[in-house]
Amino acid sequence: MKATLSFLFLFISTLLFSQRSEELVPEEAISVFSVIDIDLLERISLDDLANYEFMEEVQQEIFDGSTAGKTIKDSGIDFEQKLNVFNGKGYNYTINGFSFGIADKDALFETFDDFTPVESNYDGVEMYVSYFNRIVFKGESGVLFRVTPLLSVVNNMTDSIWYARGNSYPWQETELQELFDELESAQEDTYEITDDMETSENTNNPVDSELPYASENPDQKNYYELRDSVDLALQNEYLDIFCTNLFVQNNNLYKKDERFREQLTHSAAGVFYSDNARSLAKDSEFSALKLMYPGLVVEVQELFSDNLMLGDLQLADGEVTFNVDLKYGNELGSIYKELSGAKFDKNILKYIHKDNSAYFMYNVNMREAYEQTFNILQPLMEASDNQNVIFDLLMLELFNEFMNKDALFDTYNGSMFGTYSDVKKIKTKKIVFDYDEETFEYLEKEVEAEEDMPVFTLGFSTDRTDIAELIMKRSTKISSRIKKEDDYWIYENAVLGAAPLYMIAKNDLFILTNDPDLAKNNSDGYGANALGKSSVKKAKKSGALYGYADLGKAVESLPRELFTERDNEILDVVRGKEGSLEIVSSETTSEKTSFKLSYRFDGAMKENDTYILDLINSMYVIFK
Amino acid sequence: MKAFLYLTFGILLFGLSGCIEIIDDLTLNEDGSGTFKYNVNLSASKAKVNSILALDSLDGRKVPSLDEIKNRIESISQKLREQPGITHIEVDSNFDDYIIKISCDFNSLNALQAAIKNIVKEETKKTELNELDHQWVSFQNGVMKRSIPQITIRQSKQINQSDQELLKNGTYTSITRFNKEIDSFENQNAMLSKNKKAILLRTDPYTLTHNPNLLDNTITLSSGR
Repeated sequence: MKATLSFLFLFISTLLFSQRSEELVPEEAISVFSVIDIDLLERISLDDLANYEFMEEVQQEIFDGSTAGKTIKDSGIDFEQKLNVFNGKGYNYTINGFSFGIADKDALFETFDDFTPVESNYDGVEMYVSYFNRIVFKGESGVLFRVTPLLSVVNNMTDSIWYARGNSYPWQETELQELFDELESAQEDTYEITDDMETSENTNNPVDSELPYASENPDQKNYYELRDSVDLALQNEYLDIFCTNLFVQNNNLYKKDERFREQLTHSAAGVFYSDNARSLAKDSEFSALKLMYPGLVVEVQELFSDNLMLGDLQLADGEVTFNVDLKYGNELGSIYKELSGAKFDKNILKYIHKDNSAYFMYNVNMREAYEQTFNILQPLMEASDNQNVIFDLLMLELFNEFMNKDALFDTYNGSMFGTYSDVKKIKTKKIVFDYDEETFEYLEKEVEAEEDMPVFTLGFSTDRTDIAELIMKRSTKISSRIKKEDDYWIYENAVLGAAPLYMIAKNDLFILTNDPDLAKNNSDGYGANALGKSSVKKAKKSGALYGYADLGKAVESLPRELFTERDNEILDVVRGKEGSLEIVSSETTSEKTSFKLSYRFDGAMKENDTYILDLINSMYVIFK
Repeated sequence: MKAFLYLTFGILLFGLSGCIEIIDDLTLNEDGSGTFKYNVNLSASKAKVNSILALDSLDGRKVPSLDEIKNRIESISQKLREQPGITHIEVDSNFDDYIIKISCDFNSLNALQAAIKNIVKEETKKTELNELDHQWVSFQNGVMKRSIPQITIRQSKQINQSDQELLKNGTYTSITRFNKEIDSFENQNAMLSKNKKAILLRTDPYTLTHNPNLLDNTITLSSGR
């Protein structure tokens, strides 16, 4: 009996007091993706895992050969616990990493073999270090993380010390020029890497080809050396703050935020949590505004309090679904509620071709949202003593009084749509050199040409097509490149300086497109070739937003050079995938708007493990 | 020509290699002086050029702004003006259609080659480039020998494989003109003008990068007219 009781006590203690991986998610974490059904990941090879961008902080471990041929299951991770990938921000530093359960510590260190034990100043905590990464074990869980001081904090402190020591401006003009020249030269030089060259990748700690030069006095640090010292000192200071908070005071996100706790109870393959309110508060631009308008910023911050994104990932044969709730406070919610109170404009549907590879419809009531925003902002600003804020308030109030709101919101009431119909050959003009056979002298000659161009259409509902017509009529007198044709206007060379832009004001819509077929042959809509009934039904049922994309057709055909590196990073997440992506929003309440993102594909769910990693990666790329 | 080609391929490295037309046009007078023209026509790819110029960087490389390109062209023309034996430098830049034309007079082929060598050195900030020692044009006793500068080939190898494929759509035209009639020429692909005073060779940039000798030619002038 005594033994039974002891065993029962031990069992209950284990349940109550054992450390779970979610309790090692730091409270500074702003975005967390928790894989609940971690068994999904066990077949993933660690080398494949390393290809994901969210693993970039720990990739040095995986590229060093210690993981070759191993799967996540071989890495000693406990598949009974959740895997939580997180990143976040304090006021002075960023954090990222992941927490996990431990099944076999020896196996774990065969994978993370670069980590060496260091003395831990925290009771019950084992700490290992490799470069800037740390692994901490507490109970049956571990967390791999990195704490990085914000560059702005490091620079400010370095500058303060530098000038306090009586030094002059560290960036002399010649040094700056040399720096720019070096950068330019580095960009111009490309090196062919041959097999016989020994290469090793260490993206986190690149070794500079030249170390900072020593100053004349070897006891006196130059600017670069000082900055490195400051960086290291701050890193240690912030690391201690972070560790004390998480491992000694046990202040973790699971304990701090019941919304995160609740999220982890969901029956889903994975859950997502992103605290937009804290993200905004710790944004450096927002901090700068705080200095200028302290009172107002606090009020605006309150407006955004409770702004949170929560998501559940569900996996099934042929479909991956991501249900997202965008939550907000009452005041912001009242704006969103008014915004979403628009009547669906059926006219839009006629202009979406059934073969369009991607399209969206956005249906909002700008007038009501404007009035509600004004009603919320006015008292906020009125309470401020800041002269700038009061001046801005006056401008806002005068604008509100003098503006013809009927004309403005009848012209653009908030409903719009966009379509993408692949890359097509578009008629353009080019210059060729025309040669005289007698002398081979040549003259420039303009001829018809074709260029590949993505074909886009963007349109919005309007009750005042007469205003659009007025603008276009006057514009034809201002620019010779704008001309009136039968049913539309044409703006020559408007798209990328090469292709015409067509403008159509018809059927209570104003449409901009570079698709000549729409302007010339279908200015009243595509008729029988418009969107099919089932798609129309889904779009009508959706709330403020409906979107669809045939990934194979739409994303693959988009030229990389049309997008910024950042846009391409996000597009890369879905590049190479087949299937369709659909986003549907529900009716908006004053508390939340729900979105359902569905990814459908042919066949069974054979690779659901990679889908979940794809999604973690998407979240990391989008929210980083 | 080296500098222009070097810079042209520099531009191509930024992915503007859709459909490019390049003309190098060399006129040689009897006294060894002459005129050199170099034209780059990207008008068939202006949508692509505009889209790239709207970006800060592409494939990890910084994309120069239009102002930076204009400044670079101005800088080259200024440097050309400072070169001994080089006169009447004209630059015609059409940034609506992306056609850039540079021309200059030279008092000898050696002066032209030295000028181009100096500019490449300055622009690349490299003092040692073996390829620059390559004599790509010479004229002696009524015989001209022309080839493509090795520096061009070196630079073109840096273009990635997918962009190299796009170079197949472009054209590279090399024209050599004389005041006298041409008696014979060795390159079988060359075309003689009806007045017999100009010779034209054309290929695409892709083929040229893979066969740098394609435009090599030895031209012999007639001793008469």
